[in-house]
Amino acid sequence: MNKISKFLGVLLLASAAQIVPVWAEENADDSALESYNRAMFNFNAVADHFVIKPVAKGYRAITTEFIRERVRNFYANLKEPVSVVNHTLQGDIADSGKSLGRFLINSTLGLLGTFDVASGWGIKKNETDFDKTLAAWCVPDGPFFILPIFGPSTPRATTGMAADAFTGTTYWTGYFATFGNDVEKYSFYYGITALGFVSMREEKIEFLDNLTANSVDPYSTIKSAYIQNRLKIGVCGKAGASAEEAGYDFDFDDMDDE
Amino acid sequence: MKKLFSVLFASLLFCATNAQADVNPAKAEEFIKNVTTQGIEELINSNVSDAERNARFTKLFNQDLDLDFIGKFVLGRYWRTATPKQREEFIDVYRKLNIKTWSERFNEFKGKHFEFLGTETSKSEDQIFVNTQVPMQEGAPASVKWRVKDNNGTMRIVDIIIENVSLAQTARSEYTSYIQKSPNGIDGLIQDLKAKLK
Repeated sequence: MNKISKFLGVLLLASAAQIVPVWAEENADDSALESYNRAMFNFNAVADHFVIKPVAKGYRAITTEFIRERVRNFYANLKEPVSVVNHTLQGDIADSGKSLGRFLINSTLGLLGTFDVASGWGIKKNETDFDKTLAAWCVPDGPFFILPIFGPSTPRATTGMAADAFTGTTYWTGYFATFGNDVEKYSFYYGITALGFVSMREEKIEFLDNLTANSVDPYSTIKSAYIQNRLKIGVCGKAGASAEEAGYDFDFDDMDDE
Repeated sequence: MKKLFSVLFASLLFCATNAQADVNPAKAEEFIKNVTTQGIEELINSNVSDAERNARFTKLFNQDLDLDFIGKFVLGRYWRTATPKQREEFIDVYRKLNIKTWSERFNEFKGKHFEFLGTETSKSEDQIFVNTQVPMQEGAPASVKWRVKDNNGTMRIVDIIIENVSLAQTARSEYTSYIQKSPNGIDGLIQDLKAKLK
């Protein structure tokens, strides 16, 4: 398990090392970042076309919606401790307790999280993560960039994702597991992570097909939508930006000079 | 005569204040309620043929969305430099592509219903936001905001903002970035959009 934590540590450092200079240069010249982003976006599109999407379609072919829902619930439950930790970091002790309750109930009565029993009891899902904690702590988002394989991100989102990997159940199950040797623990960790990724991709098959079929510039479309969606996350405890604040002026008076 | 004058004057005054007044929130909400129930919830659950459904959807789309207005917005500063012919062609292809895109995505609304959360004023006097949300099977409900424009008493949708993502704003980013890079400018965009229709 040691290797996994080393790997994740390296990943975190590597991404930070890559990001910080880019971040600093943001205002100087973002054409370099833009060309990197487009290149990585195209690389991801090829990887998706030849590997990830076919796997997701295969997964859909051999499962039913009932099974896929169990799988999605299973993964949502694995992430529940991330919410427990981060609600606490954001000072929401009551929400943290609710997430902990959900995790305990769903992991046992909900058969390893595959059924969301807690929701039925009125303890609704209320997710949060380290990215939102950083936002609450006034850490700015930084520029939009494309991660290999994972796709659209920002420095804060990437940091959050890496930190969440350490507070998720998968990591700690591997860490404390008494079964198997290192190779088996490795396989366990990456197997679980990979299936989660496939499950996420499967959900987006129609949406992404539609988007790429109807956009003349899918990169710009995704970038714009991603950035707008990120503005929803409030910074420093303030509510997220409304659509209007997001620099979008719908008055055409200045355009009517025909 | 005096009476006639005062009536005329009063009606003039009324017109003037009416033009200044904000959009009636109740009316805007009522309009969106009609669109979501008749246009989406009932249409999707009805047992009509695909052709009939598409026809009804197209009609709804043309009736309730102000695509002339949206098309103008999404071209951004390029609208100004576009020739009348380019404008007309763009609006036409943009309308058709939107109908195609949304009829393909229509099924996403299956079994879903809209909950109304009131309205929000906008910076533009003739526009208002109607806030709704759609409960999801897993997790928090999805927020859907409708930007409604009052065209002298006729309500039209000018933008739909799903989870903080404005469709008009996103299209604007896509098209302006395309034109910026395209050697054929707006004509190149129109051609490529037409190709997307096939």
